[in-house]
Amino acid sequence: MSPANQTVNAGVATSSRSSQSFVHKSWAPIAMGIIAAVVGVALLYIPWVGSDFSYTRVSQILIMMTLLMGLGIVTGTAGMIALCQMTFAAASAWIIEYLEVHMGPTAFGEASFFIYMIAGAVAATIIGVLVGLPAIRLRGVNLAVVTLSLAFAMDLTIVYFGFPANKANIQITRPFGIGGSTSKEDMMAVTILIIAIVAIVSVALVYLQRSRWGSSWKMVAFSERGTASSGTSVQVAKLTAFAVSAFVGGIAGGLYELVYIQARPESFGPYASIVLYVLATLVGSYLIDMALFGGILSVVIPFILTKLKLPMFWGDIFFGVASIQGLTTGSNLGEDIRRGLRKGKRAQQAEAVAEAVAAESHKEIASVPIPQGTGKPLLVVENLTVAFGAVKANSDVNLVVKEGTIFGLIGPNGAGKSTFIDAISGFLPHHTGEVTLDGLKLDKLSPSRIARNGLRRTYQQDRVPSTLSVGAYLKFIARGKASHSEIDEILDFFGCPTYYTPLSVVDVGTRRLIEVAAGVASKPKLLMLDEPAAGLDHEQHIAFGERLRQVPTKYGVTLLIIEHDLDLVRSVTTELTVLNFGEVLASGSQEEVLSNKEVLKAYMGETEMM
Amino acid sequence: MNLVPQIFAGLTTGSFFAVIGVMLTLMAQLTRVVNFSQVAFAMFGGFVGMWLETGRNHLPVWLGAIIAIIITAVLSAVVGWIIATWLPNAQMAARSAVTVSSLLILVATGAVLFGASHNNYKPLLPSIPIMIPLGNGTDLVITYNMIALILLALVVVIVMQLVLKKTMFGVRLRAISDRQNAAELLGVNVKMLNVGIWAVSGAIMSIAVSFLPSTVSNDYVSFSLLIIPGAAAALVGAFKNMWLALVGGLVIGVLQNIIASNPNPTIAGLKDWVVFILILVFLLWNQRKEVWDVAR
Amino acid sequence: MSLVLNDVTVSRGVGPVISNVSLEIKPGEIVTLVGPNGAGKTSLIESIAGVLIPSAGSITMDDVNITKFSKRKRARSGLAVVEQGRMIFPSLTVKENLQLTARTKADMDEALALFPELEKRLNNLSVLLSGGEQQMVVLARAFAAKPKYLLLDEMSLGLAPVVFMRLLPIIEGIAKSGVGVLLVEQFAHLALKIAQDSIVVTSGHVSYQGDPKVLLNDAELLRQKYMG
Repeated sequence: MSPANQTVNAGVATSSRSSQSFVHKSWAPIAMGIIAAVVGVALLYIPWVGSDFSYTRVSQILIMMTLLMGLGIVTGTAGMIALCQMTFAAASAWIIEYLEVHMGPTAFGEASFFIYMIAGAVAATIIGVLVGLPAIRLRGVNLAVVTLSLAFAMDLTIVYFGFPANKANIQITRPFGIGGSTSKEDMMAVTILIIAIVAIVSVALVYLQRSRWGSSWKMVAFSERGTASSGTSVQVAKLTAFAVSAFVGGIAGGLYELVYIQARPESFGPYASIVLYVLATLVGSYLIDMALFGGILSVVIPFILTKLKLPMFWGDIFFGVASIQGLTTGSNLGEDIRRGLRKGKRAQQAEAVAEAVAAESHKEIASVPIPQGTGKPLLVVENLTVAFGAVKANSDVNLVVKEGTIFGLIGPNGAGKSTFIDAISGFLPHHTGEVTLDGLKLDKLSPSRIARNGLRRTYQQDRVPSTLSVGAYLKFIARGKASHSEIDEILDFFGCPTYYTPLSVVDVGTRRLIEVAAGVASKPKLLMLDEPAAGLDHEQHIAFGERLRQVPTKYGVTLLIIEHDLDLVRSVTTELTVLNFGEVLASGSQEEVLSNKEVLKAYMGETEMM
Repeated sequence: MNLVPQIFAGLTTGSFFAVIGVMLTLMAQLTRVVNFSQVAFAMFGGFVGMWLETGRNHLPVWLGAIIAIIITAVLSAVVGWIIATWLPNAQMAARSAVTVSSLLILVATGAVLFGASHNNYKPLLPSIPIMIPLGNGTDLVITYNMIALILLALVVVIVMQLVLKKTMFGVRLRAISDRQNAAELLGVNVKMLNVGIWAVSGAIMSIAVSFLPSTVSNDYVSFSLLIIPGAAAALVGAFKNMWLALVGGLVIGVLQNIIASNPNPTIAGLKDWVVFILILVFLLWNQRKEVWDVAR
Repeated sequence: MSLVLNDVTVSRGVGPVISNVSLEIKPGEIVTLVGPNGAGKTSLIESIAGVLIPSAGSITMDDVNITKFSKRKRARSGLAVVEQGRMIFPSLTVKENLQLTARTKADMDEALALFPELEKRLNNLSVLLSGGEQQMVVLARAFAAKPKYLLLDEMSLGLAPVVFMRLLPIIEGIAKSGVGVLLVEQFAHLALKIAQDSIVVTSGHVSYQGDPKVLLNDAELLRQKYMG
């Protein structure tokens, strides 16, 4: 199958792609925020809502909402257990009161309260980072243990030492001349102010979720290895999530001060943090609307219980039972509601995307010869050995990948190919031997540093989180190496779904193609593809091979490919290395290696088949 | 200042932390759960037993204690069954998240039934002091309860290690802990073994609680949160080594007591940070090297 | 009396991984299933073992419908599985590994008789054994359960051909003792040689089913069926 025989069909048709209609309006969150705030304020004018007691209740709902939004980032988006959200609020409230007591209510004029509030939130963030730094390295439940013990210690300390305002016997001065009473006028003004602040925080969080940070949180919840090999430190991703969560928790502490003027220690105990965590997992509070719903639940249920003269704890029991129900089914209220609403639509979209992708991937495209490269050695591996206990998964592997070529790494199952990629990309730091990329020694670098230095990889298993959109994923992986239009072009080139398509409607096979496209978009010096064509049919294989052949010259990316399908290997590579039992069995030009009897024997079993 | 009395007083709480730490370690190893509601189960059972012993019910002390143990074991088994049934292959964090919810349920239920913050704890079994004269006119007070708690922790560690090493039951438990799915394919009843471990750990915790003197804590909620120093003890052994968890629990108890008895109120007020700081130190130590999860 | 798959389809996530497989494993016979990487072989084994439940079709064992049985119930009914990747229990000794399935001392001795080299390793931790020895432990463990049917998934993976060739006569022996064996292999030749029946799957579909000798005698046919 020589490339010259291929039909040439240059010029990629873009018209067929317009059938997938995923629109994106970057100003939508701001509009939503403004509308929500206006509706919220308008609601206050309804007489029943507008009773002076209900103002406090609306404020409580919004404070809870803020706490839940902050916690949602850690527990929902980034997938960790944190049990100290109330502690952040308490720390912030403590700082606000301390500043009020020691600097007075008007040190910065009208803005004093807001400056104190930001200072409080920053202090909460600092505590979050200090606690997070050691804890965040760890996976699993360690963060839960650390945060719970922080909540416990902080609570006892605050009970022991007390809040500053109470000790100094003063009260927080509300901004804009709002009086310090619980009268109707004062509470209405406070509530409107809180609605405005919460609207701003919500909109900011929506944009943050869409930003690089937001993408990194979603990535890290889905796959730590995937995050690291995209050049983002897992620790940084987790730490930013925890820090933002602490900051928002601190803001909630400020809102609390705004309503109550003096903080009481019993509001912030570890029990309250546990309730918040359970509520956050129950409703899915990384979704803004669900955080509001959680806030409403947390205020309305105790209200109903008091009306019924029942202990308020029944509400917590209900939350606990409901959250176990959610945890055991791996879902939450927010996701369930959204799934219910989109039921038919999702399936339709998935089908449309699958059809479009199938059409694209079968399409024959411009054929170019196998790239020959510049001849300059790019990746040099010397005596690479990886041992797991007594078993050597790689022993004394030597190979050189030349710039601008496609290099093939083949061998039977269990020969150590994936181990080789893992070692090169930094996931097996105990390996011995030397790896250099373009003259830079990689052996001592972390996976994220290696990725940033121009060596990227893809995985055999799906590492593409369904919580992102296709474009957001590529943008995150590319780390600024590809503009929006370049990403569009690359998606088009590989026949992937369009930029704003949510990955949740993309099937796993196509996600692997998207992973390859993202690797190319990051413009690394070398991209290592681990069985990229598994799951494609024969025609797709051919079309995929055609595309790969263009990559080195079109995008300046050298490729190393692990592949089982020898047809694909033949059609794209210049040089090959064969691994068998962790050792190099043969190495050299494609023709030479593939005609080697030993290789055929090892690769095919002892038969002469194929 | 003579620290000996403080050390001995700290050993009482410390030995309770040690039992918690040992049980948390055991459960983390065998059922892949850090059980945040471990103490809450036992407190719930304990308060029910206590309620049966007092007031109009006045059941004999030993019967109250036995009922407490049974209630705790059953509650624990129910949560274990829920996790084993619906989250059989989930990650440790997801499985443990359920126990945060069950902690909330138990604490809230306890608060409804027994009052949230009344100082109403009475030890299930009475504490009988032993006075040892120190020679300088003061007595060193040791209680049977403290000895019983330390013995309990020791017995649990030794018996569990014997069971794991020497019995067929232990072989199955280790097989599950190694490769749950493979064990299931061999016909090992993973679910029932899991539920069994939950029940046994509940029962042992309940026994520990019945020896607990009222000096450790005094209300339902803060009792349930004794899981925190217990988890710190388990972290000393990285949730893997039961002996280290035992030692860790004792050390935490003693350190807390020494700091709490400091005449300077500011320093004494910081006794609650001991646990937190110890946890951070051990985490830093355990995580010196970057380790990549096999699965992710 | 046999293990029968009737039009079984196994799905994972969005779509079917392997569809419409029908086959029969008779006691005393070896059925060899071959196919390239990613053909859906392991998914099929998992559906028989109970790790996955088939999305369509049924599985019966000695006329009992086991399609919805749990893993454990299947094992108790006489099905043994040797998973891919030498699934020893690393913290258990060789002896303890075998104790998990051997109900009596006789069962254990019989299993050890198949692999005399394990005798002197009995009290060693299984994780310290070589790859070949670990595969022997796993096979012996499956045999000690006295199964009626034995599923073997890619035993050759990561084993030197000499080692694999040593295991094949043992598998033949196990079959001769009256066990029905399903041998799944990526590398076809040796596995087909010892089989009474064979089936080839490629990208989720059966491309050949019938006498293994036909495939062995016609290299071009095997290649064609194998590549799909």
